[in-house]
Amino acid sequence: MISFFNYFYKFSLGLVVILYFSCAQFRGPKYPEIIYNNKQPLISVKYEYGEIQIILPIQYDGDIPENILFKVFAKADTMNPIISFLQEAPSEFRTTLPQGSLDITEKTNLIKIIPQDENFDPVSVRFKGIGFGRIVLPPKVIRSGQLIISGKTFLKNDASILPKVKVEIKDAEDVIFTTSSNDSGFYQIAIPGESRFSENLRIVVGENLIFKPLTQKLIFENSRKLKINALLGPSRAMRGPLYITEKSNVHFKKGPDIGAEILFLLNKGEVVSVDRITPGSYHGFIEVEISGGENIMMEGWVNRADLRELNLNSIRKVIKQ
Amino acid sequence: MYSIIKYSIGSFLYMSLACSQIKLDINTIPDEVDVYLDGVNLGTSPVRNERIIPGAHIFEIKKKGYAPLKYDLIVNPSKAVEIDFFLNPVHACKFKTKEKGLVFELNGEHYWDTDNIRLDLEAGDHTLRVFKASELIDEQNIKIDKPETFNYKEKKIISN
Repeated sequence: MISFFNYFYKFSLGLVVILYFSCAQFRGPKYPEIIYNNKQPLISVKYEYGEIQIILPIQYDGDIPENILFKVFAKADTMNPIISFLQEAPSEFRTTLPQGSLDITEKTNLIKIIPQDENFDPVSVRFKGIGFGRIVLPPKVIRSGQLIISGKTFLKNDASILPKVKVEIKDAEDVIFTTSSNDSGFYQIAIPGESRFSENLRIVVGENLIFKPLTQKLIFENSRKLKINALLGPSRAMRGPLYITEKSNVHFKKGPDIGAEILFLLNKGEVVSVDRITPGSYHGFIEVEISGGENIMMEGWVNRADLRELNLNSIRKVIKQ
Repeated sequence: MYSIIKYSIGSFLYMSLACSQIKLDINTIPDEVDVYLDGVNLGTSPVRNERIIPGAHIFEIKKKGYAPLKYDLIVNPSKAVEIDFFLNPVHACKFKTKEKGLVFELNGEHYWDTDNIRLDLEAGDHTLRVFKASELIDEQNIKIDKPETFNYKEKKIISN
């Protein structure tokens, strides 16, 4: 019985093997490679782009311009703004830019703030960008532009250039700025724009000279620039011999006598053109400025002890150590 | 000192990469195929919330029964990128003929001269050329869109 099953098993196995190879022959051989036709694959790529929101707080120091033009430049291109718009002076500048529009490696992006008011100067904010998201920049202070005072210093007597003359800007008694004219007699001073609202702003020129310094009130009405040429010392109309007061509150009197009417109290450095001399007094003329900046000559008497002769070759104060 | 510099450079590079990375999603038809990005296996599709940096990259998709796919892509700086790949299937076909003495050429690079052969063909158009005694006697396009059997007769091809 066992040998029958063993025989049947071997017979069936042989039959299966024969059938398999017979069918394989019938199906034919298989080509060894997959045959591609190099068709372009079908692929879809979708990008999602973000946005960059820029927030720049604006602070105003004093005056506020009515309108401001904002221009945003990117990637060191300062010719073609990527966005620009004019708006009323805001407390915060906000704008939205497309992703990739800013340089994210260097501080080559720029916001130019251009107040539409000639009293303000344009200011810029440089910043490094981001790929997308929000940037809050440090607050930017907008203040009115600097006030410029410039001019030359001359000797009034012969209109020659007077170099190295001390120039001061004072607000009441506070000295805001000090400089000196150069060898060409030129000076230039820049002071903060908010000083334009001060009522006691003035320039004082020539405090290092023996003459009375030139003092002039500074009034900026339509311009932020003032040109003041300082003519110092006696004018050409003052004929020699010239004397100069050695102290302040020197009496300039109507007559030489004691008790004569006092016309003026002269400050230190006032020049007197002397034409007559008595044992105790000098008679001469002083220049008095009247309204409109015009000078007139007035005659009078001064005690001899209050004057010393003026040497125009030695007009600088000697500072004693 | 050296370690501080190394740490600083490392931190800078890490921050730069972190800031410039883009979210990557990959879909494939069919799904559950191995996806390789620049030679690194990202796992099976669909791929979600991977990160990629802008620039040139190579995507490779492999699945048995489909033509392998290799795709070069320059990824733009963006917030996210989603890529869909449609794989082209490979069909098991049979090619038979009763003609004698013919040599068959497919796509200019595959040859056989048997009258009965099984072929694995990528779906799409293929160019069949037939030669007899080294002379071109027939040329035609065959379109594969399903597993099928072709019976070739000289100047005539008949599919089941």
